[in-house]
Amino acid sequence: MSLAAEAFMSQMAAAEPWPENATLYQPLKEDQILLSDCASSLAVQAYLRMCGLPVQVVCRVNAEYMSPSGKIPFIHVGNQVVSELGPIVQFTKAKGHSLSDGLDDVQRAEMKAYMELVNNMLLTAELYIQWCDDATAAEISRPRYSSPYSWPLNKILAYQKQWEVRRKMNAIGWGGKTLEQVYEDVSQCCQALSQRLGTQPYFFNKQPTELDALVFGHLFTILTTRLTSTELAERIKSYSNLLSFCRRIEQTYFEDKRIL
Amino acid sequence: MKRAHVARLRLLRLGIFKEVEVLIDTSEGTDALPNGLDVTFEVTEIKRLTGSYNTMVGNNEGSMVLGLKLPNMLGRAEKLTFQFSYGTKETSYGLSFFKPQPGHFERNLTLNMYKVTGQFPWSSLKETDRGVSAELNFPLGMTNHTLKWEGVWRELGCLARSASFAVREESGHSLKSALSHTVSVDSRNSAIFPSRGALLRINQELAGYTGGDASFLKEDFELQLNRRLFWDSVLSASLWGGMLYPIGGQLSCIADRFYLGGPTSVRGFGMYSIGPQSEGDYLGGEAYWAGGLHLYTPLPFRPGKGGFGDLFRTHFFLNAGNLCNLNYGDGPRAHLQKLAECIRWSYGAGIVLRLGNIARLELNYCVPMGVQSGDRICDGVQFGAGIRFL
Repeated sequence: MSLAAEAFMSQMAAAEPWPENATLYQPLKEDQILLSDCASSLAVQAYLRMCGLPVQVVCRVNAEYMSPSGKIPFIHVGNQVVSELGPIVQFTKAKGHSLSDGLDDVQRAEMKAYMELVNNMLLTAELYIQWCDDATAAEISRPRYSSPYSWPLNKILAYQKQWEVRRKMNAIGWGGKTLEQVYEDVSQCCQALSQRLGTQPYFFNKQPTELDALVFGHLFTILTTRLTSTELAERIKSYSNLLSFCRRIEQTYFEDKRIL
Repeated sequence: MKRAHVARLRLLRLGIFKEVEVLIDTSEGTDALPNGLDVTFEVTEIKRLTGSYNTMVGNNEGSMVLGLKLPNMLGRAEKLTFQFSYGTKETSYGLSFFKPQPGHFERNLTLNMYKVTGQFPWSSLKETDRGVSAELNFPLGMTNHTLKWEGVWRELGCLARSASFAVREESGHSLKSALSHTVSVDSRNSAIFPSRGALLRINQELAGYTGGDASFLKEDFELQLNRRLFWDSVLSASLWGGMLYPIGGQLSCIADRFYLGGPTSVRGFGMYSIGPQSEGDYLGGEAYWAGGLHLYTPLPFRPGKGGFGDLFRTHFFLNAGNLCNLNYGDGPRAHLQKLAECIRWSYGAGIVLRLGNIARLELNYCVPMGVQSGDRICDGVQFGAGIRFL
């Protein structure tokens, strides 16, 4: 969006308080949603719970096409529709709710860097495993993605999505990687996160920030989603402080509902 | 001689001959009959492959249209047409195969394969349809029947970021596989400015029983009566109506619903801008009716009589209609009541121009009445062009 449009949108956003009927849209939980979308959606839900903002989760078959940017999840607040964690954080900031106000500039830059790391490594690895690994794509991703549609549309949409993701992977240089290399990358990313977390409860000491929400979203989803092999979950389980971090956030912020 | 003339017209109608000449001569030669006639048809065939190239400029869009046609592909007047349109905004193409039954041109089969995109600013919606269809036409007594199967992959999206949420909820893909049947009786003496006769067309479409996601039963009808009055003026009454019944508890899709309003239906209102709407985007309705009463007269003082002036008419009109969603749980009485409340209507006068034998241009001065909150009106001068007018 242009600067003028962004400024206008934050003016409009700041004008109204957070309504009771804010809704978050994602694909169907049982049959349709895939690992990467589930992780992103959980990250946004965790962030909103950490801010204390109520939001209802609604599952729609066409959530991906309803979203203005084509990505899951998106929230419908008042008159506005905002998708993806980054813009949602900006949006809530314009309404006066923020988790990272207490950070100084150095910490904020560090937080942004770690969030980029998670997006570039973990999210890309999830997409790779879902769509570029033939076994997972054939057994899990394509059937789930196309489950709401009838033949032949289901085949067309599933293959279209697969080609799109594979083209993107080739463009960013992941096309030539093997599954082992991807698992290694995930391990390294987890090691970096584990080292930063150390023995603290959250990444930036006492208070959770959007980085905590993002890491929780991805790690918890990977740990609790059934894939063709448990290799990915095992790699994460080897970092015990990350495990207890996930458990802690689940117990603190999600005690009233079963997430997955 | 009359039969020779009829035969000539039938040969021309096949669309494969550029010219047909009839020569009638007394029969000569060894097997000549006394008082016999030799009738010879001299035909010039159209080229085997014809192409066309057009550029079109429209509402903020320019496009290049390429057409290819084989008028007589397999020797029995089968036609194969391919059209490709490449525009600044959208690309569309279509391939069509037409086969008439030899000897009975009215019985024919058409197979189509197409991709069409459309933008509907009144609903902030854009739609891309990719589909195949098979259509069978045949006459039965006085009526003309059409049976069609159509399979369409529809992709809906928001035209602008500011589209209302109700339209945003309709975005996505769906598959419609539908069987439809149309019966029409047309006794008018012309399609554009008929001075007598009537037209009745009833169409029904059943989707969902041959696969696909969309599942509904759709009925609509069109009735037009014409009668000549004093002094070359013609009184014309028309009535349209339709109903969409979603099957299986699903909600109807915005691409299947009916729309009302505009220079080709209830004049005086904006294009398709009557009925249920959300934040300025018109969502269409599941049931509608529309009626029109027109008085067509030749131009005052009849300029250009016998030539150019005959293409024009002045007309005075009265249009009315309603579009709404029905609650299918209630009985038919409640439905009629709902369709009868909040009627929109308009009256006015204008000039109509005939284009060929298919289309019309209109320039009207309209006064809309019965406007409900949410409708968009176009009072004053309204211009319309199209094929099918109320």
